[in-house]
Formats: sequence, structure tokens, C-alpha cells
Amino acid sequence: MLLFIFRRLLLIIPMALLVVTLTWALIRFAPGTFYSGEKPLPPAIEANIREKYGLDKPWYQQYWLMISNVARGDFGDSLKYAGQSVNELIWRHLPYSATIGALAYLLALVVGLFSGVVAALWQNSKFDYGAMAVAMLGLSVPNFVLGPILVLVLALGLYLVPPARWGGWNSLVLPVITLSAIYAAYIARLTRAGMLEIMRSDYIRTARAKGLNETTVLLKHAMRGGIIPVVSYTGPALAALLAGTVVVEKVFAIPGLGNIFIQSVFNRDEPLTLGIVAFLSILVMVFNLIVDISYGFLDPRIRYE
Amino acid sequence: MKKRSSTIHIGIVAALCALLAGCGTSAKQQYWGKTVPPQENVLRYVTGSEPESLDPAVPNGQPEARLLMALYDALIEYHPLTVEPIPSVAESWEIKEGGTEYIFHLRKNAKFSNGDPITANDFVFTIRRGFKPELASRNASLGYYIKYSEAFNSKWAFVKNPDGSFLLKKDFLDVVAGAPVADGDVGKGESEFHGFLDGPERLAIPTSEKQKTQLLGSNAKLKAAVEGKELVPVKAEDIGVEAIDDYTLRIKLYQPAPYFLGLLGHQFFRVINKNVVEKYGDRWSRPENIVTSGAFKVLAHRPYDELIVVKDPNNWDAANVKLDRIEFYPLDEQTTMQNLYKAGRVDATYNHTVPAPWFDDVSQFKDEYMLTPELASEYYAINIKKAPMDNPKVREAFALAIDRDDYVALRRTYKPLVDLVPFGIFPMYEAARDKVFSEELQKQGSSLDEWKARKFNAEKARKLLTEAGYPVIQSGGGWSCPSFPVENVEITYNTSESNKSTAEFAQAQWKQNLGVTVQLKNMEFKTFLPLINKVEFSGFARRGWVGDYMDPYTFLYLFYSGQNASATGWSDPKYDRMLDEANNTTDPQLRYEKLAAAELYVMQKNTLVPLGVPGTSWMKKPYVKGLYPNPVTLHPWKFVYIERDPSKWDTNVSNLMSQRDPIVEEQVRNITRTQDEFVKSQAGQATAE
Repeated sequence: MLLFIFRRLLLIIPMALLVVTLTWALIRFAPGTFYSGEKPLPPAIEANIREKYGLDKPWYQQYWLMISNVARGDFGDSLKYAGQSVNELIWRHLPYSATIGALAYLLALVVGLFSGVVAALWQNSKFDYGAMAVAMLGLSVPNFVLGPILVLVLALGLYLVPPARWGGWNSLVLPVITLSAIYAAYIARLTRAGMLEIMRSDYIRTARAKGLNETTVLLKHAMRGGIIPVVSYTGPALAALLAGTVVVEKVFAIPGLGNIFIQSVFNRDEPLTLGIVAFLSILVMVFNLIVDISYGFLDPRIRYE
Repeated sequence: MKKRSSTIHIGIVAALCALLAGCGTSAKQQYWGKTVPPQENVLRYVTGSEPESLDPAVPNGQPEARLLMALYDALIEYHPLTVEPIPSVAESWEIKEGGTEYIFHLRKNAKFSNGDPITANDFVFTIRRGFKPELASRNASLGYYIKYSEAFNSKWAFVKNPDGSFLLKKDFLDVVAGAPVADGDVGKGESEFHGFLDGPERLAIPTSEKQKTQLLGSNAKLKAAVEGKELVPVKAEDIGVEAIDDYTLRIKLYQPAPYFLGLLGHQFFRVINKNVVEKYGDRWSRPENIVTSGAFKVLAHRPYDELIVVKDPNNWDAANVKLDRIEFYPLDEQTTMQNLYKAGRVDATYNHTVPAPWFDDVSQFKDEYMLTPELASEYYAINIKKAPMDNPKVREAFALAIDRDDYVALRRTYKPLVDLVPFGIFPMYEAARDKVFSEELQKQGSSLDEWKARKFNAEKARKLLTEAGYPVIQSGGGWSCPSFPVENVEITYNTSESNKSTAEFAQAQWKQNLGVTVQLKNMEFKTFLPLINKVEFSGFARRGWVGDYMDPYTFLYLFYSGQNASATGWSDPKYDRMLDEANNTTDPQLRYEKLAAAELYVMQKNTLVPLGVPGTSWMKKPYVKGLYPNPVTLHPWKFVYIERDPSKWDTNVSNLMSQRDPIVEEQVRNITRTQDEFVKSQAGQATAE
């Protein structure tokens, strides 16, 4: 087991460097530069800028410099935001995304698992139909539609919560609901399907035959197997949620990682884009690893050698 | 159970109806959304995207310009309404030597936020630093009028003769681009350095091998003159700024630039503290290190969230600063910021912040919505090098075939435009322009009325296109032009809702009036830029040019050779000479007339399709006073105040630019007094002599 974890952790490093290399190449192929603006620059000023940021060197030298710095975990300074290092920017903006992401994740889990389990237990009941109808709606309404509708009703109609910006618990309400909707819907459907399948399996019948009460059967035996599809879905989903989502952060003006990531691409802010991409790729790989490990605990049939 | 759920349903339906009704009756309300003045003297303002840096020399964007005006003082400040220069750290100034020398008399009580006095040496440091090649400031070219600043910024060198003298620029004017040199006499100056500055301009040549070889290779005379001579790199200390004493500053230009004084309000020239910059290097402007010089200082900066500035008691004008705090929100999503505005969580926004689909709703709020002319021109640049647009007649035909009144109605911009310099902004220049155009056009057998009719003339457009060899023929109630090579022409624009609607409008107009269907092509902004800067598009490219300073030259300069700021690829030495000559003219009226002649000259080349003068289009709550919808949307924040008495709130803001706020007027008068008195005393001295 430990060997397995160690091997997987080791693999993360070359994978991340590969991702960084590909991203670097993509940025380099994109037209435009971080310093270009509507008004053309005199050649002398452009030369000053290129020299200051080492853009006058051959590409392989620039690549080597970049990749050796990245290997040491140093992404350098942002090109757009003078005097701010990429690492600092990531750690400064991650907490905003992570707060909203974690809350949305919890909300999605609670709502999704509860309605999924109940829907499965009382299959074809009114609650089942109702919950699955709402889940279908949650899946099909994109968050850039749901967000503005919530703003219109709750923030501009009833003045209950602020329409945007960070600050105070009530500013979290709208982004968290908007962000969690699609995940809650998906989790509900996965849970229901997983539970329905498990409840019909032989070992549940055995458990019942042994005379266990229904709660024990449900919570101790059925849930563990029933939520495996949920676990494999929510692992990477958690990584995506914590790292910030562009649309929700834009709509609600949240200073999170998703917001600065998309801006860094528009700004051609190479070090910042590389830093965030590397960070995200590592995050996703780590969460996938955690998911793989948790399978072992949930399903006795899976063992790592 | 059944009963209860139906009660809930009724409740939800009722709530929704109330909501919809609320939206529907918004027209009857006086104000848009929540309108309650804050309890404290605080302004919550949306500035646009996150500032690149709080170091005033670095960023060149509008969002930063607005913030930095709160944080840093300059020699002059902008008038809140007219944007003309008024005294700031300099309490008075004089302009000498035919407009090439500026002497500033600094006030003695100006201080940085850490209590250090602001002296002439700080301005010398600020300006020299701005031009440092290592700083790589994108603003540097704004200050190139300052003698030898371009040479220093570009790492050029003087050429020293064996006898210790230097090669002079005037002897090589055929090689070195630039205006006629204002000549002076060596040694006439008040100090040794002044003598050097006042002397004839030295020749400066590039030091990098590649550029040097290129320049010398182009001219045998220059090559012979430079060969074997010592190259002396231009130093920061050579730039034309001098602290005559602690409170007197001299700035020397290489040629007159009548708008130079107004340029000094740009963030590039706003004063910074030498000790702090030298101590912290490129980390000096971080919130924990920053020292500022303006009416406000940094309290907290949470990037992408807010920048909070508070009144600085050390500022020389602190007694007249009315706001205690400004919260700047760096937002660029129009819908998001308007939601905040409507919810009463933002008091004002920057320009162009009303989403197009909201215009009808929002423009009903006459006490809040502002649509005043902006210092900007919207046009389509034409790539004049590629056929069929290399034919002036074709270009003119396309320019004439757009109904600009319809365009203005569609896009809700301010006014249609047939020239390069926008109108509604420089009344003096417009009068001169009408005069010159009228005279010139009469000579050419035309008239000013005919010129102004260029805002739409489909008939003539079809005639011109036919004359150019592409006959426009009537077909089924419309027009068609089968021989026109439409595959070589397209409209390229950077992706945005408004650019798209403009392009679709132009496309429809040309189809309707010329029978030509031009393809549209949109691309992301940074991808679009190299295409227009290198003039690699086909046909038309969208341009919106925002002026840098309050002078028509900021637009006319677009076509100056070697810049290609117009994105058309057009330049003409004759045009350059016309501009240089105008700028060397001291009489403002005469200068305007010369500039107008140049404008007519370039417009008759038909290298662009002017479209309109944009409107500023932004909102402010009626209790925010002293925040004028001026043409550049730059606000000196010390004039802004919160009015809690609803009877004194702004009404009908379309009159805001003509009905001046008496409180602000009084404040401006008090500030301009020092300069007025200085001018008077100078005049008194002159008559006494």
C-alpha cells in the first residue's frame, strides 16, 4: 500500500513538468504578448521590455531557465502584476476559491447523498420523482444562467443578500448555491443508481437474512458500496471546486484562483498561467490518488499490492 | 397537507409577481435601485480591471490612471470638469524660450505620506527613473518631448569629436527623423547644466550593433562623420530636468509642445519617494512598503477585491479633501457591477459600464445616467496597401455608404463622426476647423456643408465605386456589385458584443447601399493586436482611439510617420511637416488652424472610415457630487463629496458639464489663485520694466 502511494507520488513530478512544458508551448504559440496594447510601442521601449524579461534570448535558453526554475518550485514574478511572485498570488487567491469550493462541496454532498438515498429507498415514490426532476433541472441549467437568476430574485428583488463581491457570510450564499447545484444533482443521481444496485445484491439479502436491522444494513453495508461511484466522481470534482471556477467567480466578482487564472491567459502572463496550471495539475493528481486509496477502504474487494 | 402545499405555491407565485411587477414599474421610480447615501464620507467606486501595479511609472491603463490620481500628486492636477491643468505641487509656473522651457515653483508644504517633504529633487528623481531602460516603462514615450529623454530611454549615445565638441542633430536632419530643432546658444544658461540643455541639440545614435549598422549604412555622410569617434552613452543626468533649488524645477523640451503642461498630470509624472524606491526596489509599491504623495494613501489592498484608500493628513491640500475614504473595486464584468450599483453597494462606475441590452431601462434615469462626449474616435482602419482598398475611390465609397445617424441610434454613442478629431470636446479647435475646412474646400470647388454630408451619401458612394471599376447595378429593388472582389475584404474586430453589433451594422449598410457583402472576422484582443499593428488585415479593422491628453494633436499624431498608430499603414512626410509646423506655432488660434489644415489633408486621403464619437455612458448615484462626466473619465478625487440633503442632489445629469457645482468651483478657484497671482505679478513686472 505504502509502496503504491510512493510510486504514485513520484509519478506526479514528471507529469506536472510535462503539463508545464505543453502549456508553455501553447502560450508561446498564441499570438500577442503581455506588453502589447491598443497603442503600439516605440521599438526602443519594446526592446527594453524584451531585454528586461529575457525575451531576447533564444527559445531553448528561455525554456531551460523556465523549467529549471519550475523544478525548484519557483515560478518567478508575474509579468502583469509587477513586484508580485506567482507563488504569492496562488496562495493569496486560493483561499477564496477553496472556501466557496469546500462549502459548495459539502452542500452538494449533503443534499445529493440525502436525496439520492431517500430516492433509492422509496423508489418510484413522489419524493423519488420530485428529487430526480429537480436533479435533472440542476444538471441542465448551466451556472451562468442559475447565478444571474438567483441574483435577480434574492439580491435585486428582495435585497436579502449582496449580488456580488466577497465579504461576510451572506456574500457566500449565492455563489455556493450556484456552484453546488450541478454537483448536488449529479451526486443525487449517482447515489440513487448506486444504492438501487447494491440494495438488490446478494450480500444485502444475506445481511437482512442474518436479522440485522434495516438501519445497520443501510448505513454499514449498503452505503459503503453504494457510494463508490460517488467517490470516484467527487474526488476530481473536489479538486476542481477547491481550485476555483471561472464562471461563478466572474459572475460574483470573487477574487479566487479561477478569476486570476482566466485573466492571466488573457494578459499573456506566462509565469502566472504556468504556475496555476502546475498547481492545478498537481492538485488533480493528488485527489485522484486519494480517491484510489479510499476505494480500498470502501470496497473490500479492492486491494493494492 | 394538501392545503398547505397549495398555500406555499400561492406564496411563491405572489412573490414572483411582486418581483416582476417591481421590474416592470422601474420606469416610474426616480432612481435606479437602492439610493441611500452612506453614513460616512466614503465613495465606493468601480475602476475597471485589477491594477497592474501601484507604481505610477509602470501601468499605462485607464483603470490605473484613475487610482493613481488618488494616491499621487503631480506638478499640476486636472480640473475636475475641463481637465485643464490647475496648480498642484507646483503652485505656479512659467513657460519660456518659445515654449521649450518650463519653470515650476513648488509649494513648500507638500509632503509624502511618510511626512518627507516633496522637493524639486523628487521630481528630478521621478522623471529620470521613468526613462530608465531597465524599468521598461510603457509610458516613457509620452515624455519624449523632454530633451534627451528618448535618447536615454533608447540607450543611444552622443558622438564626441576629438576636440571635445559633439556632433549636432541639425547637421543630420535628413537621416534622423524628427522636427526642426529649436536652436540655442552655448553657455547662455543660468547654470552649466542649463547651458548644456539650452545649447544646440546633440546628435544621438543607437549603441546596439545591429541598429547602429543599419542607421550608418543608410547614410554615407553620417557614417563618415561618426567613424572612429568616441560614443558617449546618454545618461539619466543628461535628461532635460533640473532642480534649480529645492522648490524650483526646470523642464527643457527639444521642441515646443503646447499640450505638455497637461501631460504632466499623467501618472508617469506623478511624484514618488526616492528613499523608499531605493530601499525596496521593485517591491516598493506593495502595501506594506508604499509611500505616496497624493490626497489619499493606501489603507488596504486586496487584489481583485478592493483597494481602500484614506485621506492623507500629510497632504498639502488635506483641509480641502472632502472624502475620508474611497473604496475602489477592480471589476470589469458590466452586469456584475451594475447589479452592485442597483443593490446600492456601489456609488459610481467608470465609463462604458452599462451593458447594451440595459440601455433602454437605464437611460430613463436622467439623474444618474451620463452620456457625454468622450475624448475618443471610433473608426475602421483601412489597409490601404491591399487591393481593392488601395484605390482611394473605393475607400471613399465605403466610408460614404454608412448611415451614421442610424449608427448612433443603434449603438447609443454620442454623435456621428466624419473627421478624425472628435467633436464636443475642443470648441476652440472646432471653430478653427470649420473656418479652415470651409476656406480650403471652397478652393477645391466644394463646401463645408458637402463635407459634413459625408456622414451618409449612398448615391455618391455607388457612383464612386462604379468609377473605380466596380459597377453597382440595380437588382430586385436593391443593389449589387458582382465584379467587386469581396473575398479580399473583411471586417476584423476584437471579440466584444459592441464591436460585433457595429460590424454587423456596417456589413448590413454596405450590402444595402453598395450591394457588397463583406465577411466579418472576430478574434481575441491579444491576437488581434499584432494583426493591426503590422497592418496584416484585409479591408477593415476596428479601432477605437482614446486620446492621451486634452489636445487635438493626440488624434492627429496617429498618422505621424514611423508610429503607425492609425493601423492603416499610411504616412506622408508632408503631413509630418504640417504637424511640426503647427506645434512650433505659439499663437493657439493659428496653431489650431494649422492642425485643422493637416486634418483635412489626412482625411481627404480616405484611409479610414470614421464612425462616431463614443459617449462616456456611466452611472453615479445622485448624492455623489463633484464627479463630472468629463471627456476622459479621470477624476481628481479631492473635489468629490457626498451630499446627504436630497434637495441638493444632482438632477438631470446631462447638464452637469454646463452647470458647475458652486462648492467645487470655489475649491478650484482657491487652488488656481497662486498661478493667477503669479501671472499677474509677472505682467506687472514686465510693464514696470
